Amino acid sequence: MIRLYDAIEPNVIDEELLKLAVEEQGPQEAAGQVAKQEGINFKDVKSLKLDFQNILRIDNLWQFVSLTKLQLDNNIIEKIDGLESLVNLVWLDLSFNNIESIEGLDTLVNLEDLSLFSNRIAKMDAMDSLVKLQVFSIGNNILDNLLNVIYLRRFKFLRSLNLAGNPICEEEDYKLFVTAYLPDLVYLDFRLIDAHTRELGDTKYQYSIYELKHRENQIQIKLEEEQANIAELEKHKAAYVEYLNGPYLFDSLYLEDIEAAKLAYLPGVPELLETYKTKFVAVCQSLFDYGLIQQEKRKAEVALFYECLEEALQDNRAQGLKTIDDFEKIHSELLNTIRNASELQVVDTKMNECAEEINRLFDVLMTLEMQLVEQLEESINSFERNIIDIVGVFVENVQGLMAQCRDLENHHHEKLLEISINTLEKIVKSEFDEDLPDDVRALFSDKDTVVNAVGASHDIHLLRIDNREDELITKVTSWCTAIVDKVHNDEHDRNRKRVKEINQYVDYLQNELDNFDFGDLVD
Amino acid sequence: MEVLKEKIEEEEAAEREAEAEQAARRAAEKEREDTILNQEELIDLEQKLSEIEVHIPEDPVIFSKSTIDTSTLPPSYRANSAKEQLLLQVADNFARQYNHLCPDREPLFLHPLNECDVPKFVSTTIRPTLMPYPELYNWDSCAEFVSDFLTMVPLPSAIKLPEYLFSPTSVLKYQRGNCFDFSILLCSLLIGAGYDAYCVSGYATQDLCSMDLTREVCPLLKKPKEVAEEKEKVVPKKYTIKPPRDLRSKFELAQVAKKEAEIIAAQEKKRKEEEERLLELDKPPPDPMHGLRIHAWVLILCGRREVPESFFIDPFTARSYSTQDEHFLGIESIWNHKNYWVNMQDCWNGCKDLIFDLGDPVRWEFLLLETEKPYLSLYETEEEEEFTEDDGIENLDKEDEENNFDMPGSWVEQISISPKDFETRCPLGKKVIQYKQAKLEKWTPYLNGNGLVSRLTIYENVDCHKVVEIREWYKNREDLLEMRQVDKVSNWTTEYFKPGHFLALRVHIYKNMIPETERTMEFYYLARVDGLVKRTETSRSMTEYYEGRLDFLAYRHIDYGIRTKKFNINSADSNPRPLLKITERFNRNLKQLADDDVAERIFVVSEERILLRYHCREDYITTSKREFQKSNDVDNKGNKIIMTPDMCISYEVEPREHTKKLLFQYEMMMELKNQERISKHQVWESEMEVLEILKIREEEEDTHNLTVSIYDTKRNEKSKEQREALERQAQEEHMRQVEAELDYLAPFLVQLPPGEKLTRWQALRLKDECLNDFKQRLIDKANLIQARFEKETQELQKKQQWYQENQVTMTMEDEDAYLTYCSQAMFRIRILEQRLNRHKELAPQKYLALEEKLYRDPRLIEYLKVFV
Repeated sequence: MIRLYDAIEPNVIDEELLKLAVEEQGPQEAAGQVAKQEGINFKDVKSLKLDFQNILRIDNLWQFVSLTKLQLDNNIIEKIDGLESLVNLVWLDLSFNNIESIEGLDTLVNLEDLSLFSNRIAKMDAMDSLVKLQVFSIGNNILDNLLNVIYLRRFKFLRSLNLAGNPICEEEDYKLFVTAYLPDLVYLDFRLIDAHTRELGDTKYQYSIYELKHRENQIQIKLEEEQANIAELEKHKAAYVEYLNGPYLFDSLYLEDIEAAKLAYLPGVPELLETYKTKFVAVCQSLFDYGLIQQEKRKAEVALFYECLEEALQDNRAQGLKTIDDFEKIHSELLNTIRNASELQVVDTKMNECAEEINRLFDVLMTLEMQLVEQLEESINSFERNIIDIVGVFVENVQGLMAQCRDLENHHHEKLLEISINTLEKIVKSEFDEDLPDDVRALFSDKDTVVNAVGASHDIHLLRIDNREDELITKVTSWCTAIVDKVHNDEHDRNRKRVKEINQYVDYLQNELDNFDFGDLVD
Repeated sequence: MEVLKEKIEEEEAAEREAEAEQAARRAAEKEREDTILNQEELIDLEQKLSEIEVHIPEDPVIFSKSTIDTSTLPPSYRANSAKEQLLLQVADNFARQYNHLCPDREPLFLHPLNECDVPKFVSTTIRPTLMPYPELYNWDSCAEFVSDFLTMVPLPSAIKLPEYLFSPTSVLKYQRGNCFDFSILLCSLLIGAGYDAYCVSGYATQDLCSMDLTREVCPLLKKPKEVAEEKEKVVPKKYTIKPPRDLRSKFELAQVAKKEAEIIAAQEKKRKEEEERLLELDKPPPDPMHGLRIHAWVLILCGRREVPESFFIDPFTARSYSTQDEHFLGIESIWNHKNYWVNMQDCWNGCKDLIFDLGDPVRWEFLLLETEKPYLSLYETEEEEEFTEDDGIENLDKEDEENNFDMPGSWVEQISISPKDFETRCPLGKKVIQYKQAKLEKWTPYLNGNGLVSRLTIYENVDCHKVVEIREWYKNREDLLEMRQVDKVSNWTTEYFKPGHFLALRVHIYKNMIPETERTMEFYYLARVDGLVKRTETSRSMTEYYEGRLDFLAYRHIDYGIRTKKFNINSADSNPRPLLKITERFNRNLKQLADDDVAERIFVVSEERILLRYHCREDYITTSKREFQKSNDVDNKGNKIIMTPDMCISYEVEPREHTKKLLFQYEMMMELKNQERISKHQVWESEMEVLEILKIREEEEDTHNLTVSIYDTKRNEKSKEQREALERQAQEEHMRQVEAELDYLAPFLVQLPPGEKLTRWQALRLKDECLNDFKQRLIDKANLIQARFEKETQELQKKQQWYQENQVTMTMEDEDAYLTYCSQAMFRIRILEQRLNRHKELAPQKYLALEEKLYRDPRLIEYLKVFV
């Protein structure tokens, strides 16, 4: 169906249109009057209907953040956009428009019902984020590739699908294909899929589906493996010892070291390197293990602290609740007597009593809070000391282990130097009879070059080790300060919040009492 | 002598009765004289009356040899086999030696006479039997059965061993026995069930010997010992906050504590004194024959059937005692079905020091040298050997005799209890046990029409005059009532029900059955759609507790006002109590924010107010609140008010924007108004339900039907009928078969000379005769039907004629009678017509069938074959 929309003036979604729609569709009758009195906030609107409005472009809807249902059917929209902020949308109707491709739906993760009926869409895609999709209508479009249906397999909750009126429906196996590839589907083109059709489809496509499933499974397994690896790495990173449980660090030493590669051609060097590597890796491994152990220790310490903190807070809260409960009983009784009292004298005394009670409540609650603050401060300080200690010990030990690495490197360096000089001497004396590549032989022109080359390699290695050490220590210390700061800040916030709450509550009570007073006098 | 005593007793009793009657009469007369007796006098009178007691002497229970019918007993009861004779000789020998060695000890209980005056060794009287009832597999229920099943008969002499010991079969048959009979029977059952059980002959206290439980607390009243929960000491964690400083004076605290301790100590002392006093009261009067009273009971040794520790069972009361119990004063001997042991240990301290190691010959002298001696430990074997050397002659003797001699089999027939007896349990189905301050009555199920199976009456004190509480247990009731507890002091009745009733009632506590009075009903809430757990009522309020509801309602409390008088009493609808206030509490719904989740909703109906209290947020101590005031729809100027800000006062823990809006508040109020209506309706429904329940309960209490299991073939009337019907049917079927086998040729064959072979001519004739006869019969039958048909038609015509003639003068009744007659006659005629037609249709077929049959008949077949 081709619409002659050129002949009609396209409409724009503006304030006026929205206001009208909201008012029309808002609460009716008595509630409507109330609503009219104070106006409706676009923010609170739950559902909106903008059909038959000749809208060309979706716009100005960013205010409707709590919208769950939006109807934009029977317009002349050409492109889906401007819906990014409507994250709570559950129901979206874009039927009878001129949309050409599916797009701009990435933020609508809560969408369950989507209608794109009667548009000009040729391909289904770009809907990956709609994980909750249950009902999808894309009839009367120009979908022409049956294989495109396979795209819908990712929607685990999809139960109803409408494809009627697309070119693909002309294909003879259309129904069987769809039922076979979407086994969870219950309704196709608004008709219940019967068991017979399902069976036929299953038998017909059983091999291709089997293959498909196999592929999907493999992808799934791969994904899981990757995730497991990532998780493992995350764990190591949390202990600040990532890539220390193997030859990674050692390999990184030689990654950018050209000289070392050249020197490796010297006789005796490969063996030397081998022993160096095993020793180095062993040290790294012990560092790694130590790191994990320390991580556990830190975790346990933090957990213990939070447990105690939680206990203290719950205890305090229970006391507070009880105080308020007791108070409210007395308070409501007093209010009742005031309400029923006839003499002004009695009312006055009771009022005073009431005010006193409120003051007393305030005092008790504040005392409780202050007491808690003091107690917590002590506990937090001790925690701070302990955690800093633990981190300090960790840093010290790490430094020790790193020093071991450095020693190994120095040792290796000496040996290498010795071999190099020997080789040089041999070459000088022309006693060296092994083949060497030309660039390696070029090193041994004179002593300085050799020593420089070996020295450069050594420097690179030391730098690498230093860097790794620095990285580790910086990270762990920053974690330490971060957690201590967080504990302090949390406590501060909590305290502020509680004090505010108490004040607010007491203010409310005071207010209530004052208002009471006023009302009584009028009577 | 005894008879004389009895007579005297009877006379005395009669006198006392007469006296009592006189006293009562006097009292009654006195009462009549001054009708306005004041309360005190009444009480006094009651007291005096209650002092007058009437003792009706019971028939002394006699269970002796003369009551037993010995004629039907099998021969093993009446004579001894050769082996038994030998055993008796051995026993005599043993007794002689024993007498010689221990001259100051009482004679042993070895071979009393049985019901046929034949001496039988006690071990052979035990007949180990495993009963087919699963209830009798465990010692506790088994002992209970024995104690219930038999009636206790005291020993002829309390301090002498009985002369007779009857077989368990006779005991079971007559349901009576003394302590030895009880023990033998119980032992037989227990050994049969696999326990290592022994009969014990010894001495016990008077209470035990006479089955007197009046000094024992009823086991049903014993409170389970409270397990003292040890509070785990909380180890203060590293970061546990330190408690705030205690700023009170330590000295003052100490002083206060001291004072309190003193008071508590004083109270404790008082309590202890009181307890001691009570204990003193409880103590039995001193018994002159203490320690001499003979008793028999059962010992179960540890080891078999996972019994961890040896213990005694008193067969009279089915209670178990530890072997150190002070009720048991000494043991002479013990025996099971295999052997007999004499206790050689000193019993100066009762049974407290006894060691039950039967393999130890120093402690337990055995009669037969058993092959299996499981208790003999190694060093004791050596000891025994030494013993043998020391006392060579005696033991050699014994071994000579007893080598390869084991206990002969029991002379008693297999013990059997019929299912009916087993179910009836107590003789005549009733048993009464008197406990300390309590009386327990037991009945067989179905004996009482209302399903009562036991009743426990608890008295105020030991003299058992004033009833404090009655507990009654029921079984098989259709209303599933299980137990009823009536507190006589406060008049509360508590009824407990089993699950499965459509009312789902679990407990019902009430004073009376009048609605709107104090009562509590508890329900099986899982069986109810609304999840009601409990409903408590008083005349001015009703409280309901719920569980597991989808709307999270947990509690509803309704306050009622006083009924106002209505003037139009004629109107049929009831006058409900005015609702003052409905309080509803809800559990936390985690799907909602705490600030949106109502915790308490109070509809103050009388003041047109609605109070809402919300759940408390985590980490907060105050809760949001809202109060709605429903006011008139029209203000003083006549304008319609929909919603004003002062109609809703709210406190919010954290002020939010949308809740300030009038629209929000208005919608909430509308919703609440709706809720109020629903709540009111639910309250009404609850009231209706209470009325309904009370009505049904009353009806059920009146009818008190009992249910019968479909597996209970004896009581189940329906299944009985069905079974009988089935039997009848089977019989009828049988009859029909007999009939079917009737020989249709017989009447014709009789005419021929018997025993001769048929000639072909004869056979043909026979066939023709038979067929002709049958044809005649068919024709006769058709004629008969026709004749009846014609008769009916004639009669009908006659009647019609008569009707037409007398139509004018006829009464309505006559006319009616005529009409019914007509229709009936027409019916008959039509049936006859149908029958005739059917006969006409079937007759040729029948004829052909008979012909066919005759051709097939084995007697005729050879002659008729040719024609076929």
